[in-house]
Amino acid sequence: MSTAVSSTEVSRPGRGRRLDRLPGGSHVADVGSLLAMRGGLAHGRAARRLGPVLVVLTVAVVVVPAFVGPGLGQGRAFDVLLLLPSGYAAFGGLALASAIASGGGRELLPREQATPYPVSAATDHLGALVLAPLNIAWILQAWLLLGGTSYAVGPAHLVAAQSVVVAWLLAATAVVQVLAWLLEALRRRPYGVWVVRALGLVLVATVAALQVTGTTQQALDALPTEVLVRAGVAGPAGFSGLWVATVATLLVVTVLAVVAGAWAAGVAARRAPREEVRAETGSRTPRRAPRTDVGALLRLDRASVWRAVPMRRGLVVLAVMPGLIAVLGALPWESAIILPGLVASGGALLFGVNAWCLDGRGGLWRESLPVAPGLVFGARALVLAEALLLASGGTLVMAALRAGAPTSAELAAVLAVWVVVVAQAVSASMTWSARSPYAVDLRSARATPAPPAVMVVYSAKLALTTTLTGLVFAVTARAPDPTVPLVTAGVFLLWSAVRLLRARDVWVDPVRRAGVVTTVAA
Amino acid sequence: MEVRDLVVRFGPVVAVDGVHLTAGAGASTALLGRNGAGKSTTMRVLAGVVPPTSGTVRVAGLDVVADPLAVKRAIGYCPDVGGLVPRATPWEHLQLAARLRRMRDWEPRARELLERFELGAEAHRVTAGFSHGMSRRLSVLLAAFHDPSVLLLDEPFDGVDPVGVEATMDVVADARARGAAVLLSTHLRELAVQACAEAVVLRGGAQVAVMDAAAMSGEEGARVYRGLLD
Repeated sequence: MSTAVSSTEVSRPGRGRRLDRLPGGSHVADVGSLLAMRGGLAHGRAARRLGPVLVVLTVAVVVVPAFVGPGLGQGRAFDVLLLLPSGYAAFGGLALASAIASGGGRELLPREQATPYPVSAATDHLGALVLAPLNIAWILQAWLLLGGTSYAVGPAHLVAAQSVVVAWLLAATAVVQVLAWLLEALRRRPYGVWVVRALGLVLVATVAALQVTGTTQQALDALPTEVLVRAGVAGPAGFSGLWVATVATLLVVTVLAVVAGAWAAGVAARRAPREEVRAETGSRTPRRAPRTDVGALLRLDRASVWRAVPMRRGLVVLAVMPGLIAVLGALPWESAIILPGLVASGGALLFGVNAWCLDGRGGLWRESLPVAPGLVFGARALVLAEALLLASGGTLVMAALRAGAPTSAELAAVLAVWVVVVAQAVSASMTWSARSPYAVDLRSARATPAPPAVMVVYSAKLALTTTLTGLVFAVTARAPDPTVPLVTAGVFLLWSAVRLLRARDVWVDPVRRAGVVTTVAA
Repeated sequence: MEVRDLVVRFGPVVAVDGVHLTAGAGASTALLGRNGAGKSTTMRVLAGVVPPTSGTVRVAGLDVVADPLAVKRAIGYCPDVGGLVPRATPWEHLQLAARLRRMRDWEPRARELLERFELGAEAHRVTAGFSHGMSRRLSVLLAAFHDPSVLLLDEPFDGVDPVGVEATMDVVADARARGAAVLLSTHLRELAVQACAEAVVLRGGAQVAVMDAAAMSGEEGARVYRGLLD
């Protein structure tokens, strides 16, 4: 029985009652109830520490660079200042890609669990907004903007400039949420999937055209986000009429976008998700029976990954978006070497960190089949590795278009980092999958394989590990001898293999395995 | 099938606390009890899915702890929840089962069962789009597919239409006729009486009665059963 306050209930005395009296307050109250129902989104020790850690790091990111930089208009601070408009725009672009890939936005309560409750589209929308920052990509970009702005403007303009950044983060997040719901609504129209794909191709073609015509720099200079930078540094200590107008405009846009998003979410919710429905009701051409046990296991596991619309879409977005950035920025190999790690981390977060949930309630039946558990583990890890290799490989192919011919050491380093980061992502994922399983229905693009706070912890760990690894290989790429990155890769792979074997030991243990299977099948 | 002093603990929770069960070849036993009585956990132990905390569990003469793979070859298990891989088709479920159980020339048998359970037209659709009743029917089919010597059916009638109930009854009858032991858990007492010769009643994880299933029939049987549950 639900203990949560819903929009259909008579309001209770206290906080909920006051909220209910506000326009849309019942939806806000419902979001609060849903958050409470999910245990405040905190599961586990690491997730509980997340809030304080994020606050401390954010304060450090906001304050410290201002006092270590040379000051407004000086040296490298001026270079950073010139890059900020592109950074603001990139934040909006990547936030939009994330919201679109997740089918409009993350869900506060899984679809199956939400069915008995009167959760309105407006509540759903507000929940997606609350969850949007609980995403490592959002957090890292926000830190990048806050830190970059702090470094560029120095202590004198810090408060004014950072208030513009915060207002921009709010406005951009709310606006991209509206766009994401509208695209989701469009995707659910007849032929909507094709229209959305065509829009994606138009975007790629536009980027290509800018590159071919050599007008990328002009396009970036013409971005309207340039006003955000001017607003933060215009007057004494940054406060000016422009600052007031900019911050006020951004806050008004935020409020309007929050309201418009509720409407757009309603439009999307009234339409059936055609692509997902077709995937669940269409017939599959039968293939001949597999010849080996591992072949049979791999076939079913691959079907679980590649037949899921959200996973296919997520892997494509993960491969293409960093690839586009590499093409747009003409990233050299020493920079592009970071990209496979980010893609592999993102891919693991689609399903790998809770890999056994792919079986859903079929896990109990699969566990009753006569097959060695080690073989089952190997097949699942291999299918995860395949998906990550494919996505990160796609990014590398795109990056190669502008990165130029690599030296032998660069080529060795890129290939080595590609394999190493995938091995890291797989070993970490399989470890977490066995240690902390969750019952999740991944049919919805809006679902995540673990609760949102846990996802932030996982994504932070993966991003940190793979990015640092990428930096190590960026150094080895400068070595005169290509064997240096290969030998380095051997060390990293050995450690990943040890981790993977430990995770396998956990899975092979019948008591631990029973815990995993009964949890994901619950 | 022989269970002695079975205890299953999940941390501080004791799910099963002292169950004894014996079922020979051709016997069919109903496992009855309220929600949380330990029926599904007992089934999972017999299927080799959950290891027992203590006690002795032998299935088809094999110890579930010492030789779990051999036990899994001997049993056919229909779990109480779902039991299907969401993005695989029924045919792919059957292919996996046939491969891992080393079955030869299994396709005619698979087609016959799919038709019997009225799933022939759905053989190549992913199961995520199946109704609850269709999923239950397919789970029973998968359990019976390889003619196991021990058939474990956990809530096979839940949400199933009369055609599905009839097909499940046929599967139980066929299994008994060829000498398999059948253990069937359900809340539908009359169907349990119809399908099984013996009934075991669990309460709070412990066994409270073993009796002829016929004694559970009708209004008098309902009164007896209710008395055992309280």
